[in-house]
Amino acid sequence: MSDKVQKSLIVGLRARYSNLFSRDWVIPTFIVVWVIIVIVPLLIMVAHSFFEMKQYRVVYDASFKTWDSLIDSGRWISAVRTLRIVLVMTAIEFLVAFPFALWLAKVCKSKVTKAVIITLLTIPFFVDPSSRTIIWRAILGRNGIINFVLMETGVNNEPIEWLLFSEFAVHFGILAPYFPTMVFPIFLVITLIDDEYLEASRDLGASKLQTLFRIILPLSLPGIVAGGVFTMVPLMATWVEPEMLGGGFVNLLGPSVDAAMRELKYPTAAALSVFVIALLVIFLAVLILATRRLGSIGDIFHTMKR
Amino acid sequence: MTESTGRNDVSRRELLKGAAATGIVAVAAGSAIARATSAHAASTTVKGYGVTTSQLKDWSIMEKSIGLKMEFTGTNADIGVFMRDVISNDLGETHDIFIFDGGTEDILGPQGYYAEVIEDHPELNLWARTSDNWKRTDLLQDDSGKQYGVPVIGNADSFGYFPESIGANPNGLDEIGWHMMLDSDETKGRVSLDRSWLLSSPEVANYLKYHGRADIKDVANMTGEEARIVADFAADRKRAGQFRSLHAAFEEQVQLLSNHEIDLINCWEPATKEANNILGPNTVMYAFTVEGYYKWGHGAYMHTKALERDNVDNIYRMLNYYMTGEYRAYQADQRGYAGPNMDLGIKYAEENGWSQEKIDNLKWTEKKVNKKFEKPFFGKPAAPNAAVMEEEWQRFLNA
Repeated sequence: MSDKVQKSLIVGLRARYSNLFSRDWVIPTFIVVWVIIVIVPLLIMVAHSFFEMKQYRVVYDASFKTWDSLIDSGRWISAVRTLRIVLVMTAIEFLVAFPFALWLAKVCKSKVTKAVIITLLTIPFFVDPSSRTIIWRAILGRNGIINFVLMETGVNNEPIEWLLFSEFAVHFGILAPYFPTMVFPIFLVITLIDDEYLEASRDLGASKLQTLFRIILPLSLPGIVAGGVFTMVPLMATWVEPEMLGGGFVNLLGPSVDAAMRELKYPTAAALSVFVIALLVIFLAVLILATRRLGSIGDIFHTMKR
Repeated sequence: MTESTGRNDVSRRELLKGAAATGIVAVAAGSAIARATSAHAASTTVKGYGVTTSQLKDWSIMEKSIGLKMEFTGTNADIGVFMRDVISNDLGETHDIFIFDGGTEDILGPQGYYAEVIEDHPELNLWARTSDNWKRTDLLQDDSGKQYGVPVIGNADSFGYFPESIGANPNGLDEIGWHMMLDSDETKGRVSLDRSWLLSSPEVANYLKYHGRADIKDVANMTGEEARIVADFAADRKRAGQFRSLHAAFEEQVQLLSNHEIDLINCWEPATKEANNILGPNTVMYAFTVEGYYKWGHGAYMHTKALERDNVDNIYRMLNYYMTGEYRAYQADQRGYAGPNMDLGIKYAEENGWSQEKIDNLKWTEKKVNKKFEKPFFGKPAAPNAAVMEEEWQRFLNA
């Protein structure tokens, strides 16, 4: 095939398919597919929350009994507690991860150091969650390493009980595994920020803090949002840390749904999930309303065009 | 060009014919092999599904003695999972017998999943000599008295404890009150309670009932109001700091004991055995109690669909095996569990040259379980009020 024929073929193909993804059918198709694979199951779940189980079989008589029991049994508390811990931990992860990502992207100049750190950050993804969490019991327990050292050195006479089987232990256990999910997206976005912006800011007399808050932070927003989502969403379903380090005192949504499922209480599990989705929707609505004066939420992603 | 296409078409058609013929031959051959294998499997293999602790640690012992092979799929003690597998996943299509806590027959028997026991089946030759105390119980019969299960193992659950930590007799023969677990300043913050409503809720209820602190008719099948009183009491003790942890798994029981993170824990007896393997003999004792125990018995149930298969005789031989001295001796030795025909277990050990220490342990297991079984109460995993008991227990967990 000659070059001329090849070129004309490429031109023809381009002309034919150039408008493929700008045609009107893309968005409707996406919506239809999304409705089928996400919205319909969600609606079925909502419907299930109005049924109840008797003798391990679903009774398809709609009522509010399951919702009543959700309130009466205190299961709703586990959903609220989960949301509280998730928001606190997402905020803590961000506060720790952002400076670290900034340092890694802009301050750390050694490629070898960067490569080593990024490799180290991937370790939690490869280690079984139960295995990496159970280790903390031997460290934080009443007869664990920390209490042993504190008592042997005379710092404490009695072991510190709240190190294990407490909310502190659960927060502590969550910190490391979810750190990479916050760091990576922020690191990638900060890496893409052109150094000339930072130099221009400095040349124009901005302080380091001004550069941070007026240049780096706004340009990092897509990474922050992505990091927040990647951290927050899996945290909603976390069960290893509360199960192993909470000692049964930090009853979160995951274990609560699991307990309901183990008893074949599908309607209860459905009601709990619907309750959490409702809480998340309310939370997002409040967030959007609160940040509306800063501009549209879509503005966040304008920076990605630069 | 046309000629060539025609030749190619013919060739493709021939190829397809050949492929189809080969496929048919292959499927037929595969089917024949599968049938042959299946027929062979039916002659020697029984498929079981149920709680892992009902298994021998080495099934080859049984293979040698009765010539059957057991293919066992284990599950934990979650009744919901078990019910789902029997009802929704239709495990009766593939499995012959089901072994679980007695009580499931109240639901699965009348609904047609479990077959009634044919008591005069020739392979069930130990049935007649098995004590009614083991076979004619609510754990194996439904409410109308129909017999669905064969007794497998049983025990009376209480709690493990470190005698020196609570000032008890180190020989473990003292009867310890449940107040040490639930309601004592002496042990506050040194206790682990099982998170499961099935075990802990009736145990707490039995303590309250015994001491006249709650009017409860059946601790294993409480009404909503009764279960609420129990959950409220447990929640108060939780807030008072009685519990160091609320555990959920067997491995946790072993770890909490072997780390000495706690002094008392309501657990399975094998957990104390495992802990003593680490800490040394008799470091942890399994309690004789004042108020009573969570008594349980596992039954082996035959699925109705298995009646349509061609290995019914073998299934009955397997059911009979659970009542033999060999099975009894090994279960008592390996897990400390008792069961029907313990005398045959002792006889088996004596005839097969077991050490005197092991024989004495078997005798002790029988004596121990008989002593415990004199006190209340029998657990009911599939109690009619199970759903409401679980709901109320959630209030304790979320307190």
